[in-house]
Amino acid sequence: MHGFLGPNGAGKSTTLRVLLGLLRSNGGSATVFGRDPWADAVDIHRDLAYVPGDVSLWPNLTGGETIDLLTRMRGGAEPARRDRLLREFELDPKRKARGYSKGNRQKVALVAAFARPAKLYILDEPTSGLDPVMESVFRAEVQRAQEDGATVLLSSHILSEVEQLCQRVTIIRAGRAVETGTLAEMRHLTRTSFRVATVAPSAQLAALPGVHDLHAEGDHLAFDVDTDALQPVLSALAAAGVSSLTAAPPSLEELFLRHYGDELPVLEEASAR
Amino acid sequence: MIRLILLQARRDRIFLTVWVLGITLLLFVSTAAVATEYGSDEERSQILGLALTTPALLALRGVPNGAGLGSAVFFQTFASYAVGVGLMNTFFATRHGRADEERGRRELVAATPTTRSASLVATLLLGLIANIVLGILAFLGFVAGGTDAQGAVVAALALALIGLTFLGVGALAGELVATSRAANGVGAVAVLGAYALRAIGDALGTPDFDALRLETAWPSWLSPIGWGEQTLAFTENRLGPLVLLLALALVAGGGALAVRSRRDLGASLLPERSGRAVARAGLRSPGGLAWRLHWPSLLGWAIGAALLGLVVGSLATVVANASENFPESIQVVLRSLAHGGRSDIIGVFVAAIAVLIGLMAAAAGIQAVLRAREEEADGRAEQVLGGPVSRPRWLLASVGIATVSVLVVLLATAVATFASFASAGDLDSGWRSVGQILVQAPAALVFVGIGALLIGALPRLSVGLTWGLFALAAVIGLLGGLLRLPDWVLDASPITSVPAVPFDSVGDAVLALGIAAAVAIVLALAGAALFHRRNVPA
Repeated sequence: MHGFLGPNGAGKSTTLRVLLGLLRSNGGSATVFGRDPWADAVDIHRDLAYVPGDVSLWPNLTGGETIDLLTRMRGGAEPARRDRLLREFELDPKRKARGYSKGNRQKVALVAAFARPAKLYILDEPTSGLDPVMESVFRAEVQRAQEDGATVLLSSHILSEVEQLCQRVTIIRAGRAVETGTLAEMRHLTRTSFRVATVAPSAQLAALPGVHDLHAEGDHLAFDVDTDALQPVLSALAAAGVSSLTAAPPSLEELFLRHYGDELPVLEEASAR
Repeated sequence: MIRLILLQARRDRIFLTVWVLGITLLLFVSTAAVATEYGSDEERSQILGLALTTPALLALRGVPNGAGLGSAVFFQTFASYAVGVGLMNTFFATRHGRADEERGRRELVAATPTTRSASLVATLLLGLIANIVLGILAFLGFVAGGTDAQGAVVAALALALIGLTFLGVGALAGELVATSRAANGVGAVAVLGAYALRAIGDALGTPDFDALRLETAWPSWLSPIGWGEQTLAFTENRLGPLVLLLALALVAGGGALAVRSRRDLGASLLPERSGRAVARAGLRSPGGLAWRLHWPSLLGWAIGAALLGLVVGSLATVVANASENFPESIQVVLRSLAHGGRSDIIGVFVAAIAVLIGLMAAAAGIQAVLRAREEEADGRAEQVLGGPVSRPRWLLASVGIATVSVLVVLLATAVATFASFASAGDLDSGWRSVGQILVQAPAALVFVGIGALLIGALPRLSVGLTWGLFALAAVIGLLGGLLRLPDWVLDASPITSVPAVPFDSVGDAVLALGIAAAVAIVLALAGAALFHRRNVPA
């Protein structure tokens, strides 16, 4: 299970389309199952399920017809599996696609992808438009696919989603991979942002390991803490006394701005060339 | 209530004005045209006599009732206006009824201190006003065209009452079904069904050649448009059918009001029809998908083509009988259209019409093949190509369905034309027409090939460019001879390559057809090859 992270416009969908052989890369190389996705697209696609980022369905076809069309081209759905997915995603297969909301269109694409087992699932922002209950159904389904030995490539711009699901992560920015590794290796990316009203002296907090970017905002202190350094910070805060506290994982955009802000102009120049 | 009416009138000020004035203008112009073209009673008797022997003309036009100017206008134009007025009213009712509800606007109005049916009452009252205005303008149009006033009153009243009837039907359709699309569909089917019923009844009617009248068969009496015709305005001026129309208008409008005041917001009398939970067995490949997406359009093309075929057959006989009186100019036009050295007038006429039928088949094919580009641009192709489907196979699936479309349109027309000649006892012309229509196939397929090539080569321009080239080729093919364009320009249009049947030289004809077919195949394969090599979506 590999997460593919990047802000909007970073080139996530383009990369996935290259892996599908829909676009020809104009530099670098890509292999899927050890083969060239452009030349061997048909063979590769037999063992591959794809959920596009912006699901566009045939307005006159019902959800059920769409699912059947897409799975039959790969060899046909397992009926029991199809029924279970329809039930769990609470999707009415008799409605015409023009009547589906964005979330329901997404569900059609997901059911079509999971109703026939594949070796590789390429999912482009698969949870956009899903409510939290459906997101958990989706997570369960992805885990089931992994237990069957499948590989999942999941693109997203939501860090927490990738954190929950993926073992490895690649982060791209302006068309370049800027980080690749296991989540443990990337721990430094997952800092928690604190905003507290406390009497603890700022110098004492700033001296703790894993505390970054400490600064005062009015009568509040704001700082980021590495995930594995949370415990000592919390102890220090508890000892000093806290009158209000908010803690939030940093958004991906913030991370990018902080970590790659300097490189941005360079990268953009490179991609413009 | 006044506010609601004003609100709807304001939202509709352009649409209603255009419809009402458009119909009135059309009515005035055609009345004046009939008055100048068939100025004397003899001329009108001649054309009416011809019509009475030709069921297809009766089906298209209406009920002849005497040779007076007003009667001739009424015969020629009433049914067509009735369709225009009917559609205006059903669309109007949906726009302020189901469409408003679908978009959530009715909810806003219903939240104010008004009754549940208030907006529908406002729509019906505004529709009533619109139809009264239309009636007055129609009366003025008839009189200005030179007809007598009494008949004009009856004809205008009939039009306005047909309008009111379909206003009620449209309102009722909005209560029956849950989407504006479906409501418009039901309304349009009601109007066209009424036209078709009277077309059948009129075509099967018993002609009275002395009085130049037609006793229509019973299907006409099932149709509100048929009732309007039965007023026999300008001769008998019957008022009984008008009462029927008024009664139906009241029943339909009242029914709509009754449902509206009892139902929930967003509900409909007929529950929304749900589709298939499981796809049919055929929907498993790009070809199956292309067929599933295109067959409703193809059905429309085929029905249109068959109707055209029926008309062609019966018209050809009329043309042949009347050809001695044809001015030289019309004969020149027909011969230039026919692109062949046919000497007999039926042959020339059929060849000329076959060119049009070929263009129609080509248009059906272009529509089918360009659907592939539409699928790509709307992001749906990606999902199919994400499966184990090669790009050439995906594009050629659409080419295949386009080819089927071309052949179906041509076959439907050929069969209908043959049936129409056969019913007149002219089997020889029937067979010849079948041949003349079917030989259009390769030329029409060339356009399908052009579409496929452009999808592969210039995807973003393909739609506009394909239709543009089609229009250009059509103009060259239809008017090239008249415009005295040089030969090489004429030869550049596939349409001019179609040989005349029976072939003057079998060898040349087979060669011409073979070249066109080969060009079509090469173009389509080149398109598939180029599509194989380019990015999707592009």
